[in-house]
Amino acid sequence: MKFMLLVLQNVRRNKLRTTLTCLGTMVLVVVVTLVWSVLTNLQAQLDQDKSKMKAIVTERWRIPSQMPYAYARGLSEGAARKEGDIRPEDSMSWSFYGGSTDPEKRTRESMLFAIAMEPRKMTTMLDELDDLPDSQAQELKRVADAMEKNVQAIIVGKDRLAALKRRVGDRFKLTSINYKGIDLEFEILGVFPPGRYDQSAIMNIEYLNRSLEKYERETGRKHVQADRSMNLFWLVVPDTAAFNKISGQIMESPDYKAPAVRVETLAAGVATFMEPLKDILWGMRWLLAPAVLATLSLVIANAISISVRERYTEFAVLKVLGYKPWQILTIVLCEALIIGTLSGLLSAALTWLVVNHVVGGLPVQLGFFGKFYVPAAAFWWGTAVGAGTALVGSLLPAWTACRVRVAQVFARVA
Amino acid sequence: MTTIVAAESLLPGFSTPAMIAVGSAVLVIVLLAVFGKIPIGYNLNNLRVRWRTTLMTALAFTLVTGVLTVMLAFLNGMFALTSESGQPGNVIILAEGMTDETFSTLQFNELSDLERLPEVVRNGAGQALVSKETYIIANQEIHVASPGKRQRRFLQMRGVDDAVLTAQVHAATLHDGGRWFTGSGVQESPGGGLSLIEAVIGEGIARELAKDRSGEAAAKAQNSERLDVGDTFEVIERTFVVTGVMKSAGTTFDSEVWCTQSLVGPLFGKERFSSMVVRTPSAETAQKLKNYLNNEFKAEAVNAQVETEYFAGLSESTRVFLIAVTFLTVVIAVGGIFGVMNTMFAAISQRSQDVGVLRLLGFKRRQVLVSFLLESLLIAVIGGAVGCGLGFLADGWQANSIVTGSAGGGGKFVVLRLIVDGNVLATGMVLSVSMGFLGGLLPSLNAMRLSPLAALR
Repeated sequence: MKFMLLVLQNVRRNKLRTTLTCLGTMVLVVVVTLVWSVLTNLQAQLDQDKSKMKAIVTERWRIPSQMPYAYARGLSEGAARKEGDIRPEDSMSWSFYGGSTDPEKRTRESMLFAIAMEPRKMTTMLDELDDLPDSQAQELKRVADAMEKNVQAIIVGKDRLAALKRRVGDRFKLTSINYKGIDLEFEILGVFPPGRYDQSAIMNIEYLNRSLEKYERETGRKHVQADRSMNLFWLVVPDTAAFNKISGQIMESPDYKAPAVRVETLAAGVATFMEPLKDILWGMRWLLAPAVLATLSLVIANAISISVRERYTEFAVLKVLGYKPWQILTIVLCEALIIGTLSGLLSAALTWLVVNHVVGGLPVQLGFFGKFYVPAAAFWWGTAVGAGTALVGSLLPAWTACRVRVAQVFARVA
Repeated sequence: MTTIVAAESLLPGFSTPAMIAVGSAVLVIVLLAVFGKIPIGYNLNNLRVRWRTTLMTALAFTLVTGVLTVMLAFLNGMFALTSESGQPGNVIILAEGMTDETFSTLQFNELSDLERLPEVVRNGAGQALVSKETYIIANQEIHVASPGKRQRRFLQMRGVDDAVLTAQVHAATLHDGGRWFTGSGVQESPGGGLSLIEAVIGEGIARELAKDRSGEAAAKAQNSERLDVGDTFEVIERTFVVTGVMKSAGTTFDSEVWCTQSLVGPLFGKERFSSMVVRTPSAETAQKLKNYLNNEFKAEAVNAQVETEYFAGLSESTRVFLIAVTFLTVVIAVGGIFGVMNTMFAAISQRSQDVGVLRLLGFKRRQVLVSFLLESLLIAVIGGAVGCGLGFLADGWQANSIVTGSAGGGGKFVVLRLIVDGNVLATGMVLSVSMGFLGGLLPSLNAMRLSPLAALR
C-alpha cells in the first residue's frame, strides 16, 4: 500500500509533465482506436456467423451483376429439383433502383439508390435489422407490413433522408438513372433505426416489376433492363455442408446458364470487393498503426527519462533507505503504467462515446461499406495500448533508475 | 520571382507555394539566428549534451513526418492518375444521366453524324478520330489461387472497334515489340480448339496478371515482372493472348485490357457501346463540342464531358482519403506536440539557472524566447528531414486503389504509383516545423517570463 502511495505521489509531483504525457497518450490512442475500429469492422464482414451462413448468387462473368428476375423463384428453393436436394432456410432478391429528385442536377444530395426487395425480408434477412430491440423491431415490422400493402412506400436511412431534405410522410419522384424511362413516385413510410442503414433506402420489388410490365404495355417493347433487373440473390444456409450442397444444385442446374451465375459465401464476396482496398488496409495495419504506437512509446519514454534523470538523488536516497533495485525499477514502471493505462482507457472510452453516440459513426466511405463504429473491445485495446507502450517506453529509464550508484550520486551532490 | 523560377527548374517537383512556404520558414530561422543575437552556440551545445532526449524527440518527428509523407504520396498518386488520364481535346459521350462508363449504354451505333462534325480531328488517312468503346468489368476466375486467397478479380476490359484509331484518340502507345490487334482480333490456338482473343493490356494489370501464373509458367516467362507479348491469360473460359503492353503508367488505362469489341461485347452480353470518345484540336473546341452534344445533338440525348473533366470527376475517393489523412495527421501531430512540450518544459526547468545567467548577460526576454524556440525548431527540422527522407523511399511504390465519382456507384479499380514530389516533402517539413513551433512556444514563453533573480535562486 505504501509502495503504491509512493508511486501515486510521484505521478502527482510534476502535474504539468503528467498532464502533457497523459494528453499525448490519449491523443495517440485515439488514432490507434480509430484505425483498429475500421480494420475490425471490415474483418467482421469476413467472419460469418457460423449458425446463420449467408451466400450470394450473382452473375458469373461480369459486374455489375444483372440477372433475370425470373431466376428468383427457383433460387429461393436453392434450385432443388430432385429427391435429396436441400433448400435454403431463407432467401431474398436485391435489385438496385437509382434516381434523382432533381433531373437537371444530379448531386449527392438529390440522388437516391434504393434496394428493391420484398419488404417482409427486412426483418429476417438484413444484418442487424434481424436483431433489434423489441420497440425498434416492432416499428420496423409495422413499416414492412405497410410497405407490403403500399407498393409505392419506401423506408430511408436518417442521413439520406436529411440529405434529401425530406421527412416521413413526404412524397417524391425519382427520375431514374439505371431504368431509363421508368420514373417512380414514392411515399416515405419510415426511417431505419440509427446505425448501419443511415444512408440506405429500401423499396418494394413489386413496384419495380409492375413498372417494367407497364412500360412494356405502353411502349410495345420490353424495357432494356427487363430481363436483367435482379442484381443479387441472398441465401441463408445452416452450415458449410449445406452451402456446398446448394451451391452445387444451383451451378449444375440448366436454368441458370444464360447468364451463368456464381454462388459464393458472403465472406468470399466481400473479400473480392475489398481487394482494391487491400493496399490501403495494409498501410493502415502495418504502417500507420505501428508508427503511432512507436511515437506513443517515444513520448512516454521521453517523459519518464526526463523524470528519472531529475530524480537520481532521490533514487540514491531510496537505496540508502534499503530499497532494492527491483523495487526502484517497479516504482518507475508503475508510474509509467498508471499514466499509460488510465490515459489509454479514458481515451478509448471517450472515442467510443463520441464516435458511436455523438457523431453517430465514422463516415469513412470505403467501397460499399457504410459507417464504422468503435466496438466495445476498444476499451481493452485502449487500455492495453496505453499500458503496453508505457511499459515499452519506460523499460530503459526504469533500468537506468535501478542501476543508480549511491556513491557516485552523492559524490556529485557533494 | 526569378529566383523561384530558377529554383523550380532545379527542383521540378516543387510548386511555387511549397517553395515559398519552405523558403520563408528557413529564412525566418536564419534571420532570427543571425540578427536576433541569439546564443545559437549555447542552444546547439544543449542539444548535444542532452542527446538522448534530443534523439528521442527527433525520432518522434521522424515517425510522424515519415508516415505523413507516405500517406500524401499515395494521395498524390491518385490525383496524378485522375488528372493525367484524359486528353484535354477529347470529348467522352455517355448515355444521358450516366456519369460513369460502367452503367452507360448508348442507344445509337450510327456514327456518321458525329464523324461529319467539323470539330472532329482526322488522321493522316482521313479517318475521323472517333473511338467507339464498350467498357466491361469482368469477373476473372483465378485458377491458381492458394487456399484462403481470393478466387477471382475484377478485370476492366475495353472493347474497341478499331484499336489503332482508339490508340490515336487516347494518345496511347505500346512498349517495343507490341502491336495493336487488327482485323478479326483473334489468333489460331496452337493446340487447336477455340481461337485466342488478341488483347493489348496496361502495364499495371500486366504485373497483376503475372502474379497468377503457375510456377511452371512463371519460370518459362520471358518477362518475370509482368505479362508480355505472346503471354496468355483466361477470362470467361476463353484464352486471351497479349499482342502489346501499353505505356500506361499513371493513367487509368494502366489497369485495363483492350480487345476487339465485336468479340468481347457479345461474350459478356453487352453488345452496345458504353461510350464514344471524340478528338478535337483543342480544349476550347472540346468544350464547344460538349455543349453542342448536350444541347443540340439529335441522335440521342447524351451526357458529353470533356475527357479531362470526366477523369477529374473520378476524384471522390481521393477526396474521402484526403479528409481521412488530414484528420489523422492533425491528431497524430497534436500528440507529437504534447511530446515536444514535455521535452521543452523539462529542458527549461533543468536550465532555469542558465536563463537567469543569459538575462544577466544582457539577453532580452524576446531573445530568450527565440533561443528556446529555435532549439525546438531545430529538433523539428532534423527529425522532419529524416522523416521526409524515409518517406521518399516510398516513391514509386505500386498500390491498388479505387477511384469513384461524386454521384456514387461505378468507379475504376486502379493500379497507381506513389509519388513523393517536392510538394509532399514540403508539406512534411511544414508539418514538422509547425509541430516544433507549437510544441516549443509555451515552454519558451515560460522561459521568457522568468526573472533573472528568481531563475538563479
